[in-house]
Amino acid sequence: MSGFRHLLRWESGLAVLAVALFAFMASASSNFATSFTLQSLALNSTVIGFLALGVAPVIISGDIDISIAAMLGLCTIVMADVWHGGVNIWVAAVISMLLGCVLGFANGIFVVLLELPSLAITLGSMGAYTGIAFLILGGSAITGFPNSLVTLGTGLAPGTGIPWSTFVLLAAAAALAFLLHRTVVGRAIFAIGSNKQASRFSGLAVVRTKILVFVISGFMSGVAAVFYAGYFDTAQGGLGSEDLLPAITVVILGGVSAYGGTGTIPGVVLALFVLGILQTGLGVLGLSGQEQTIAVGLTLILALAVSAASRALRARLATAVPRVPSREAA
Amino acid sequence: MRRRLDSVLASVSRAPELGLIWILAAITIYAVAALPAFRTTSNADQILSNSTIIAILALAETMVLLTRQIDLSVGAILGLCAYVVGSAIGHVGGGPAVAIALSLGLGGVLGLGNALLVDLIRMPAIIATLATLSIYGGLQVVVTNGSQLYAYQLPHWVNALYSTHWGPLPAFAAVAVIFVVLLTIAVQLTRWGRDLYAMGSNPGAAAYAGLPVRRHTYEAFIACGALSGFAGLLYAAQYGNVDATAGNGIELTAIAAAVIGGVSLFGGAGSPLGAALGALLLIEIENILAIEKISIFAQELLQGLAIIASVAVYALVRRYAQVRARRRLRLKPVEPLPAAAIEPVPITVEGREASL
Repeated sequence: MSGFRHLLRWESGLAVLAVALFAFMASASSNFATSFTLQSLALNSTVIGFLALGVAPVIISGDIDISIAAMLGLCTIVMADVWHGGVNIWVAAVISMLLGCVLGFANGIFVVLLELPSLAITLGSMGAYTGIAFLILGGSAITGFPNSLVTLGTGLAPGTGIPWSTFVLLAAAAALAFLLHRTVVGRAIFAIGSNKQASRFSGLAVVRTKILVFVISGFMSGVAAVFYAGYFDTAQGGLGSEDLLPAITVVILGGVSAYGGTGTIPGVVLALFVLGILQTGLGVLGLSGQEQTIAVGLTLILALAVSAASRALRARLATAVPRVPSREAA
Repeated sequence: MRRRLDSVLASVSRAPELGLIWILAAITIYAVAALPAFRTTSNADQILSNSTIIAILALAETMVLLTRQIDLSVGAILGLCAYVVGSAIGHVGGGPAVAIALSLGLGGVLGLGNALLVDLIRMPAIIATLATLSIYGGLQVVVTNGSQLYAYQLPHWVNALYSTHWGPLPAFAAVAVIFVVLLTIAVQLTRWGRDLYAMGSNPGAAAYAGLPVRRHTYEAFIACGALSGFAGLLYAAQYGNVDATAGNGIELTAIAAAVIGGVSLFGGAGSPLGAALGALLLIEIENILAIEKISIFAQELLQGLAIIASVAVYALVRRYAQVRARRRLRLKPVEPLPAAAIEPVPITVEGREASL
């Protein structure tokens, strides 16, 4: 169970980091620990959170999906277009989520049945989905979504001061955590990520599970689309492309191995907090968006450097302790 | 017929990028026949010149892809180098030699940064270069500081380069040809190049065979960075204006060109010539779409489909080649021995039979 202990340690490290960052930001600026700043922190993190939760199972299963932002864009635009054509907004939202499933399914089929590298396939589908989104709307934009959707995207749950979207995000995280950490399917996802060959030989349904993780990724992009439209109140070709990098950063920072096989959903949620505190805090301190981006990149490198160093240290300790005296010495 | 098909497929599988020449030829013949605007000399020059930056970046990407790594930061390196080198030679002055050395050097240093993350911190290349993409891209915004570099601030020879002809070829295309030749020699005719292919085909085996795997990893990333930096100099020459967004997203086009050109994302397969032809194909299609007045938005869709199709075709061709090779060697699939055929072997420890 040493792997489990390591994960626990990674997540407690993240929690400590989140608390320390929060304390630092709050002491550095009196504007940080206000309900307005914290609410905008939560609202700003929602879309990235859904994308990160969606792509986490894919990365745990040893693959990658870089079309998440493109699926977000296409789902938002189809949803907006359908609504613009006179359909009820909630029906359009359901269509967006179903479309996400279909797009993810298409990725999964190509990756699994043709046994093609997921990086290449989702690079291709990223271009294809973005292109379709542009073709639907051309250069124009759709705005002015109904109040009910905007309330879901920006409103606060009465009596709590916490945005609706945060509750939905946490509920989705809980559902995914249950699926990944408490079910047979979840265990299969981890097994395939740590050793695909062995999983196949031990009779796991590799094909079905792989397709499932891509469908989850697409579905979560479709959900993210609903909240994107509700929060930004606009749909335009090329939207969301800047969310790909932060989403994958959150997953890796959350302790999911880029080689697959390890990682937890609570870790991803904690990493989302850390990143949100960092970005919002730096913004409050007056750093520009690009300087925040540099900080995010450096955080990612630092986190992985710390984990590599601790791994090396532990390996050295592990080999140093049980030193058996050699025959000559005895 | 069957044998004939076999030999065709075999030759295709040895050098899949040569299949690309036929596709390029077919598209060119169609366009020459059907589109009067296509068959002008200036249009041909334009296609060749416009392909150069993507081709150089695709060559850069090929160096790391061959070793089973990837570099997502080439666009950011291009943008940063375009601005820094452009400003340096614009304000301080300097001839072509200085500019080329500066762009290669700065790009190489940025590539070294990637290599350090991959080798020392053991970050997977896709994550490491994702991080440096945001760092180098952020630095680009910080150094430009909201302003931009204008064409009139650059030395005259830089501005003139894009429209210069060296003999029949536009200077840009000639530069691309020079780099394709140099890199083809480097990776296909030298021991160093064979090492890169070996690392990409089987990193573990390459390390056990005593190849300097770590040193080659550094060399591949530095070469990739240096070429991307040089592409930045070309960017400044072609567009004149360099701002904070220069090179944004161009890395995906470069990877697309390399993949369409037959460079495998799993390492160990592909060639510089293929990568450059992939870039030429993408730009020629873009040119034809523009002439036919098809929405520019369709370009992205088409590019995405081209990536998927080419990856599928190369994978199928390579798989077929493997099956064929196995058949020729008469290797049967390994069947497990029946249990009775496995004789129990006594297990001995230091000469004594173990009591189990």
